Amino acid sequence: MSSTTPAGKVSIAIGNTIGEMAKVVDLVDRFGAAHHIPQAVSNDLNLCLDELLNNTISYGYDDRDRHSIVVTLSLADGRLIAEIQDDGKPFDPRKATPVPKGVLQSRKIGGLGLHFVKTLMDEVGYVRAGRQNVVTIAKKLLKGTADGDC
Amino acid sequence: MEIAEQHAGEITVVEVTGRIDSNTAKAFGERLTGLIKDGRARLVVDLKQIIYISSAGFRALLLADKLADETKGTLALCGLSVEVQRLFDLGAFTDLFVIYPSRDESIAKLS
Repeated sequence: MSSTTPAGKVSIAIGNTIGEMAKVVDLVDRFGAAHHIPQAVSNDLNLCLDELLNNTISYGYDDRDRHSIVVTLSLADGRLIAEIQDDGKPFDPRKATPVPKGVLQSRKIGGLGLHFVKTLMDEVGYVRAGRQNVVTIAKKLLKGTADGDC
Repeated sequence: MEIAEQHAGEITVVEVTGRIDSNTAKAFGERLTGLIKDGRARLVVDLKQIIYISSAGFRALLLADKLADETKGTLALCGLSVEVQRLFDLGAFTDLFVIYPSRDESIAKLS
């Protein structure tokens, strides 16, 4: 379920399954189109949200219960911002290990997704608020490329 | 994501359209490994029509590439857009895969 506030913020709550992530892709595309955000920027955001949500869904929970993950998109100060809020185990994506080097057959791919996030986004923020992880990622927009505060 | 297959002699061209992400990487990987296990281990994966590939997609590609290697086959990639090439560069994958500019060149090299 998604909702839009008058300020141009949009939120969606999804369940903790990989299949639910398609709803976020759709939301980013619709938000991007509505605010004339360049497709390349929406694609980068979608890729980074894919990495962060996959991490949370795959490794963030010790139980098999249903959990809610809330993704909020907004535009502020010339930036496209996404916030992910989940009740998984504490995890700060800024402290991920660097991408390991090695030959193909022995290469470990862990850490690559968060490497993408840190490289493709201009800002990555994290706070633990009570029992919630709150991860914020933001991409700067060139002047005149989007609506709202840009 | 959609996957189309074409056969050029012993070479199979797999053309992918859309996003290779957490949702689609499993089907993508299974399609590639299925072909290799069926004896079609000379594969060209045309990425010209993809929007992006996430780490889950790279994992699927790495596993398929390893399997192709183990079965004396070859997995070649082609059609990388500037945006997709950037992801390969960020992950330091450019030198790990066999990559050609075009489908025609891939088929010629694998023939």
